[in-house]
Amino acid sequence: MVSFLVKRLVLAVVTIYIVITLTFFMIRLMPGNAMSYLQSQLSAQGGLTTQQIATRVQEAYGIQTTNALWQQYLSYVGNAFRFNFGTSIINPGQTVLSVVAGALPWTLLIVGLALLISFVIGVVVGTLIAAYPQSLLSKIATGVVSFLAAVPNYVVALVLIYVIADRDHLLPSSGPYSLTTTPGWNPAFIGSVLQHAILPVLSYVIVAFGSWALTMKGSVSTILGADYVRTGEAWGLSRWRVTRSYIGRNAMLPMVTNLGLSLGYMFGGSVFIETFFVYPGLGYYLIQSVNERDYPVMMGCFILITVAVVLSNLIVDLVYPLVDPRIMSPGRAKRAGLTVSGLAAENQTPDPLERSAA
Amino acid sequence: MKFFADLWRICKDDKAALVGGIVIVIYLLVAIIGPTVTQVGYVKNPNLAYLPPSLKYPLGTDFLGDSVLSEIIVGTRPIMEVGLAAAVMVVFVGVVVGLASGYLGGAVDQVVMRITDVFLTIPGLPLVIVIASIIRTTNPLALAGILSIAGWAGLARAVRSQALSLRTSDFVDAAKVQGLPLRNMVARQLLPNVGPYVAIHFLLAVTDAIYAEVGLYLLGVAPISGTNWGIMINLALSQGALYTSQSALYLFSPMLAIVFLQVALVYFSRAMDRLFNPRLRVQ
Repeated sequence: MVSFLVKRLVLAVVTIYIVITLTFFMIRLMPGNAMSYLQSQLSAQGGLTTQQIATRVQEAYGIQTTNALWQQYLSYVGNAFRFNFGTSIINPGQTVLSVVAGALPWTLLIVGLALLISFVIGVVVGTLIAAYPQSLLSKIATGVVSFLAAVPNYVVALVLIYVIADRDHLLPSSGPYSLTTTPGWNPAFIGSVLQHAILPVLSYVIVAFGSWALTMKGSVSTILGADYVRTGEAWGLSRWRVTRSYIGRNAMLPMVTNLGLSLGYMFGGSVFIETFFVYPGLGYYLIQSVNERDYPVMMGCFILITVAVVLSNLIVDLVYPLVDPRIMSPGRAKRAGLTVSGLAAENQTPDPLERSAA
Repeated sequence: MKFFADLWRICKDDKAALVGGIVIVIYLLVAIIGPTVTQVGYVKNPNLAYLPPSLKYPLGTDFLGDSVLSEIIVGTRPIMEVGLAAAVMVVFVGVVVGLASGYLGGAVDQVVMRITDVFLTIPGLPLVIVIASIIRTTNPLALAGILSIAGWAGLARAVRSQALSLRTSDFVDAAKVQGLPLRNMVARQLLPNVGPYVAIHFLLAVTDAIYAEVGLYLLGVAPISGTNWGIMINLALSQGALYTSQSALYLFSPMLAIVFLQVALVYFSRAMDRLFNPRLRVQ
């Protein structure tokens, strides 16, 4: 039990550490890296002494260029773990932390809602398809679902904007809330936030529920033939009981495993959906800062997206033992044909048709 | 040859997979011979801008008076090139890392798998965007390399678990006893058994790479030069195509081109899955 949790925690911290190291490498060492770009830009502007340029660069990245490389690295990592990501280049007064901290809640809102809705729809649709495999409706649904799962999310977002938002102005397609409302816990504001969230969330859901449904269908189909299900039926247990406790709970295992994989995909997709819907989340600011070459903000967004994915993964890992108690006791896991870290064992043979998390 | 006979039998049975396969072949042909059949970028005649569909311009024209259909055709090659190159890199790295890790086992396996875990967790698309924004390359191979950075980890895991179970299998033991060289071990004993994963993953790696590649151009992260579907959408958007109906074809044709290809790849990968997975074939 404890070793499982410790392992997961360590992996989370190590992942965040590696990502921070990676960003240091990209800022400082990669050919055409961000710091030399800023230096050359500032000296091209003219009127600044070498000393002033060094100060500006240090402000932006929090790295003293005159120090030895390992010192720069240590101070960068130290700063990052203290949430000090430097300041924006485009708006020098603004810290990167204030930008990303303001953006994070919007991304969490959209991704969270989308995940919840697509997961529920996927479970229901997948179960129905698996339960009546021969019906015409199931065959049509399988076709539609696997079609939607293959469509890129930016295509869906653009079609939604074109068809629903811009032609007929049925729903708002930009911004997180209407400017006529005052932010706070008042019904007008919350209503406006939800209304503005509909299209972005829908863009995610249309693409994502398909792969959930396919996973659920695959999972339920294999379990339907399992011995314990037939045993339950032979005992004369009620249909509801068999469906819920024998099929449902076991069929959910691959779904929970896939949660972890799809989180990265969902957060990654935010770059398109938030950019097209002008929604001020992390993905929006990531692209904004890329196009303005505001590298400190870009790195801050990237680190925070990764941290969000890592922490959500950690939550999934912590919940997983509740769904599959075998993980907690290696002995039972072995007898059940799992390796010691059950999650890894489940992950090893993912459904190859499941879209990978790239 | 038995491979193609089996493939044909399955495709005959699964019409969606058959259509997928045909569509993929058409795209490949367009990518190969398209640029010799039609050219773009020479017109630049504002009088020809945003013409409706006609015999000469089946999909109308763009804001510079170029034929949209020609642009789609010309734009197929760069997309397919980079997509295939990225998938080859993903599969190569994934198979090598997975086989080595699973076959060698022990400390190597532990270390490699922890690294794989990290790469599985880091969201791939933001990583690709961040790297592409710093490197800003127009070189197709470099772009493919950037795109493949996030994709190999999943395959490496799948291949590793196969290699783990193969390691203890009888025929591998037999090969060891015969003292076969490592080359034979890898090429004749191990690779054929991970083949199915590799084939299916290759197709999915192509879809992922094309998704991300078009996305990079769409967002303007990759340099806008030349003609491809992502650049077309990017230009259409910056010309305000979302707000007028006259450029709808210009905006949606490249999107349809992507959707058809992606769906075809996924449907065809299903046939591959059946081909290699006899249990599915019986059903």
